[in-house]
Amino acid sequence: MSSDRAATGAEQALRGIRVAEFTAGMAGPWIGRIMATCGAEIIKIESQRHPSVVRLYVPPRTPELGIQPALSPWLTDWDAGKRFVALDLSRPGAVELARRIVSICDVVIENYSTGVMEKLGLGYEELARVRPELIFFSSSGYGDTGPCRRYVTWGPNIEALSGLATLSGFPERECTLTQFAYPDGLSALHGLFAVLCALDHRARTGEGQRITLSQLEATIGVLGPLMMEQLAHGREPRRLGNASLQAAPQGCYPCRGEDRWCAITVASDTEWERLCDVLQRPEWGEDPRFATLATRLEHAAELDAGIAAWTSARTPYEVMDTLQRGGIAAGVVQTAEDELHNDRQLAARGFFEEVEHLAKGRVVASGIPLGLTGTPSRTGRAGAGIGQDNDYVFGELLGMSPEEIRHAIEAGAIEPPDA
Amino acid sequence: MVGGQGALCGRRVLELADASGAYCGKLMADMGADVIKIEPPGGDPSRRIPPFWRDALGDDTSFSFLYANTSKRGVTLDPARPEGREILERLARSADVVVETFAPGHLDALGLGYEALRLVNPRLVLTSITGFGQTGPHRDYRCSDLVASALGGALYVTGEESDPPVTLAGSQAHVSACTFAAVSSLIALLHASRTGCGQHVDISMQETMTSVTHICGAGKWLDDDILPKRRGTGLFASVPSGAYPCSDGLVYLMVNRPHHWKALAEWIHEETGNEEVLDPIFEGPSSRRQEHRELLDLFISEFTRRLTVDAVYHEGQRRHIAFTPVNTAAAVARDPHLDARGYFVSVDHPDAGALRHPGAPYRHARTPWAVVRPAPRVGEHNREVYGAELGISEERLRALRDDGVV
Repeated sequence: MSSDRAATGAEQALRGIRVAEFTAGMAGPWIGRIMATCGAEIIKIESQRHPSVVRLYVPPRTPELGIQPALSPWLTDWDAGKRFVALDLSRPGAVELARRIVSICDVVIENYSTGVMEKLGLGYEELARVRPELIFFSSSGYGDTGPCRRYVTWGPNIEALSGLATLSGFPERECTLTQFAYPDGLSALHGLFAVLCALDHRARTGEGQRITLSQLEATIGVLGPLMMEQLAHGREPRRLGNASLQAAPQGCYPCRGEDRWCAITVASDTEWERLCDVLQRPEWGEDPRFATLATRLEHAAELDAGIAAWTSARTPYEVMDTLQRGGIAAGVVQTAEDELHNDRQLAARGFFEEVEHLAKGRVVASGIPLGLTGTPSRTGRAGAGIGQDNDYVFGELLGMSPEEIRHAIEAGAIEPPDA
Repeated sequence: MVGGQGALCGRRVLELADASGAYCGKLMADMGADVIKIEPPGGDPSRRIPPFWRDALGDDTSFSFLYANTSKRGVTLDPARPEGREILERLARSADVVVETFAPGHLDALGLGYEALRLVNPRLVLTSITGFGQTGPHRDYRCSDLVASALGGALYVTGEESDPPVTLAGSQAHVSACTFAAVSSLIALLHASRTGCGQHVDISMQETMTSVTHICGAGKWLDDDILPKRRGTGLFASVPSGAYPCSDGLVYLMVNRPHHWKALAEWIHEETGNEEVLDPIFEGPSSRRQEHRELLDLFISEFTRRLTVDAVYHEGQRRHIAFTPVNTAAAVARDPHLDARGYFVSVDHPDAGALRHPGAPYRHARTPWAVVRPAPRVGEHNREVYGAELGISEERLRALRDDGVV
């Protein structure tokens, strides 16, 4: 990066954008978390009476401490860098204050159950009256119309509902699920893209608008080619496990050590020849059964057994590095510990971030890999409590006097911050 | 000619991307950007990715190509030739974003790297999608969707404990990289509009996978001393959760809050007469039920086996319990809720007439998402883009074609 561009990096890419967030869980909050790393100001409105599951955290190592909201790792992963206010939205005064917050914001992000914002008096129509150019983004499991719009879902429900769980995995398993609630992250990224498009439109026309996202539909969308096969032919796509229709051999092979594996992809005939060299199996190179992709796919089981014999005698990192030196795509099946301590690429690129944490001092968090070389992103303060920034938002931003704030607390509209 | 009413109408994107980057261009094209897909003369190899419509190999029958390239215009060009490089530079002058998936350093070697393009157009955003990024000891390592998913932590935590690690269907490492790339391109574009300064966006597929799997990542490991791994269909932190058998298929259940458990226990009791399930020792947050997980799974299976998937799904949801069917693609294709929302869309196909595609992932009230044209045929818009827009004469275009430049 040249130094003049590094200098412009001092100004973050989303500086000047302000967002009001009415969210819980991950699919909504991760949007604001990512925007905050680019300099947007995110004001999250919470309530002590209905804390998000993110704050209902019992530390597994010390369950006797009970619920410890500030210690939740999810609070770092999904909410770091935001401002937090506490409002009891069942009180009319609180709804009025929420509207005042929105009146100084560019974007609202919400993922409450369908219909809740309207019921609170915070629907798009009402908020557009106080802020006509507002971008109002709603995310829900099924979208805001249709017979199931009020149904309850979590990320793994969407894996099941979208077809992802039955399309993935080994042929003999009826369904296969992740432990990372993939649709949550996926929906957040699609939602963020939708909001950014609307911001670009607004920058050029001055127009705001309402956006709705169905997590189910965003997830079906990333299964597009598989769904098209079903829609066109009325036939269920085959479950391939780790195999591919366009590369063979390909798979996940056992390595030395307990539950250690390395993924390998041979994508062309040239790479196949390289594999025979590296594994010192010249006879494979001459065998007509392995000469083309089609015949290698047909005899994949035999190849897989031969490769597994070679990989089993080596650590996964030896397998990866040896194959990569030979020009073959290979990658260790990494654990969370590997990513942090054994991955020299992630380390060299500074993927993990050290983040200031109000309750823990400093913590290491997963990076947000936006790759903005001219305006690098950075995560702000983590571990803030509900209402942590009441004074900043109501006092500094909205210009309320300490007395007005005190009255609003006495009226039960503003909730005092966590002790 | 170009675009619809989408939010990115008036924006121009050049795409020099294989299958690993095409979904990024689709996201922008379906939002109205004029995305010009630049393929090597003869067409991109991603046109030959199976499966194919009617199982017929051809340039315009690959489902993955047809899906990931909607709403784009298509031209052919060899940027390695001097005339090709010159044309690309001219196109870059009027572009907002260039998306590319070449190996790191390839564009630099052609004289078309970021520093060169910046001289042509200082506002330009160059978005590079690669396996490992433009820097670091592994930047020249080879990658695949499976390899990025493995290194990014997805495989280790997917599937059954007794099985080998397994990947997700649908090239999700490509998807995660493309979605991040689209997000970053837009952030850089907003910044460029404000300041006049473009930038180079460096997307690593390994990093985007590590990011979308972060729930199983650093925080869980460092804070909780828990190394996430494969655990079947249930989530470790949510008890009960997982796939359960009904009389005619599987349902997925997730309980995250104390009152959801209470509602479920009461329903099981009503249906089966099971008294044990009402025991107060099971009440409270999931952590309270962790040691009873197997017993509770047994209670739930005894209960779900008596009912159909539809009965558990709709009655469960009426009780605010997060039950959902475990759908096949066929079930998704005929889902009444999706149908009521008009989710699937019809897109013209040169031979098929029309094919049905998944529709909008988001709905903008003012600037609707739309597929404005099917994936382009090889060089379909050469004449339109090179002739009408760049003003290259018919004769010159013929010479460039004979010469293998376009």
